[in-house]
Amino acid sequence: MIDNGLLVQMLIGALLGVSVYLPLAAGQLSLATPAFYAVGGTLAALLSTTWPALGAGADGSFPLASFLLELLLGGLLAGVLALLVGRLVLRLQGIYLAIATIALVEIVRVAILNLPFTGGAIGIFGIPQPFPTAAGYLLPALGLLALAGWVCQRLEVMPLGRAMAAIRNDELAARCMGIDTTRVKLTAFVLSAVLAGSTGALAAHFLNTWNARQGSFDTAVTMLAFVILGGSRSWLGPVLGGLLLTALPELLRPVGDVRLVLFGLVILLGPSVFPQGLINPGLLERLGRLGERAEREPQP
Amino acid sequence: MIDTLLQTLLNGAASGGVYALVALGYTLVFSVLGVINFALGALFSLGGYLTYLLMGGAISANGGLPGWGLPFGLPFPLALLLAAALTGLASLGVERLAFTPLRRRNAEPLLYLITSLGAGLVLVNLLQMLMGAEGYAFPATALAGLPDAVVLGGARIRSVQVLLLAVCAAAVIALTLWLERSRSGRALKAVAEDATTARLLGINSDAMLRLAFLLSGALAGLGGGLIGVSISLPGPYVGIGYGLKGLAVLVLGGLGSVPGAIAGGLLMGLAEALVPGEASGWRDALAFAILFAVLLLRPTGLLGRRLVEKV
Repeated sequence: MIDNGLLVQMLIGALLGVSVYLPLAAGQLSLATPAFYAVGGTLAALLSTTWPALGAGADGSFPLASFLLELLLGGLLAGVLALLVGRLVLRLQGIYLAIATIALVEIVRVAILNLPFTGGAIGIFGIPQPFPTAAGYLLPALGLLALAGWVCQRLEVMPLGRAMAAIRNDELAARCMGIDTTRVKLTAFVLSAVLAGSTGALAAHFLNTWNARQGSFDTAVTMLAFVILGGSRSWLGPVLGGLLLTALPELLRPVGDVRLVLFGLVILLGPSVFPQGLINPGLLERLGRLGERAEREPQP
Repeated sequence: MIDTLLQTLLNGAASGGVYALVALGYTLVFSVLGVINFALGALFSLGGYLTYLLMGGAISANGGLPGWGLPFGLPFPLALLLAAALTGLASLGVERLAFTPLRRRNAEPLLYLITSLGAGLVLVNLLQMLMGAEGYAFPATALAGLPDAVVLGGARIRSVQVLLLAVCAAAVIALTLWLERSRSGRALKAVAEDATTARLLGINSDAMLRLAFLLSGALAGLGGGLIGVSISLPGPYVGIGYGLKGLAVLVLGGLGSVPGAIAGGLLMGLAEALVPGEASGWRDALAFAILFAVLLLRPTGLLGRRLVEKV
């Protein structure tokens, strides 16, 4: 039931979940991830279909080096955009920030729909493939996720990550302790955008076509649900949430039209059942204690 | 020239009125609960479909139920009101499923966002399942008895636009009068001001909250029915776009401000109407561009109160 294509989609879901998680780890509810995802994907789709120097073959093949370059460029462009926008929007608090980022998503969507070179409602299609089958995408997607996970894990012990946690707990108190809250929030926002941009570039090749619908309000909501249902206290939460909730509509396909209603019910009732997400502090603590015990026990 | 301008402005005011209805729907719940009900867009769709059904409109549900419809058809005004009332009841259901369980555990506000969006997702997909993804146009007899257009100061205006504007204005005036004058309206305002004090004064704040949800849903349903009759129902997702625009209007006017929601809605409708036809594809971005600019210049909205953070 789970084939390689779905596995890649699940990994993309996990990556986007981590992208929403990063600003949230600094207490900022940003829904801008779909905008950066769309920007990265559009850049990759445009470059690979129009720039011959990247070496797209007539048979739809694409050199691996160019693909990796695009992941880099997609992340870079999204990051630069986030740096510009973030300075403005991160002054806003709470629900105002969420709404401003929804506005950003809508502006980017309408721009991609109407710009003369992005293919309008049909979008860009025939994006060349660096890998002959879907299985080929597993490795780069896993690699990207491993990189993102490593960064998040490092953040737990780095001053930046500590500062993010402090802001999440109490922004005013953090500022009083001398934390440059604007810079920390901006860094988290840019990291989130870079991840979303690279993921978009990967998804554009994987999906083979790219259009404005890839980054819309609906996707923003679904991505936030990845984080909330998975658990927002550790990066493992959004990974789990992204994997499960991306697979769910596909696994429900046999039940037909009801599947999206069921998916909605999961999002509707999930937070009441698991208010702290599947991976919550209690669970992490128990796991941590298990780990400690294993360390303390003498090795045979 | 003046005629076309007048025409444009009236068209803008008509769609602005609908935005104001949606924004008021958000405002009612926000002022009492301090959170945004993201299911409102889906309730807007529901209102449109219910109005269509109650008027005896036939559905096909992707060919699953060809030509099926209610055995009776109500006249448009009655269908609109009944649909709005039913949408209000559905909104109570949303409150029950998406808000009450979280309120009981004092959950963080972020969770309301997810659950209300989930409720919206369920509603829209239920509509899609039961009514199908295809668009429906209201029967031409919906507004029988009304002339096609009225001439006002030399400008020809579709009478459905006038109707739209009139219904929106009536709803807004009725709501404002109710809030200012009636006992229950003032109780609602008291709960919005300070729920604890209101409870101490003997106001049932839970009942007021349910009332806010009921009215909020009814306003969205009214908007859906009006848009359905004046344009059409392009699909179950029709309300999502209006829900998002309403959100922009809400922030534009200032969260929780009733006059702000009305002024913001009119302003947004007029601004959109003034976008020239060649750039109509960009029209949908205008609301959000304005929203973006306003948030940056005046984060509390045009008529919003300044929130002072107490330490």
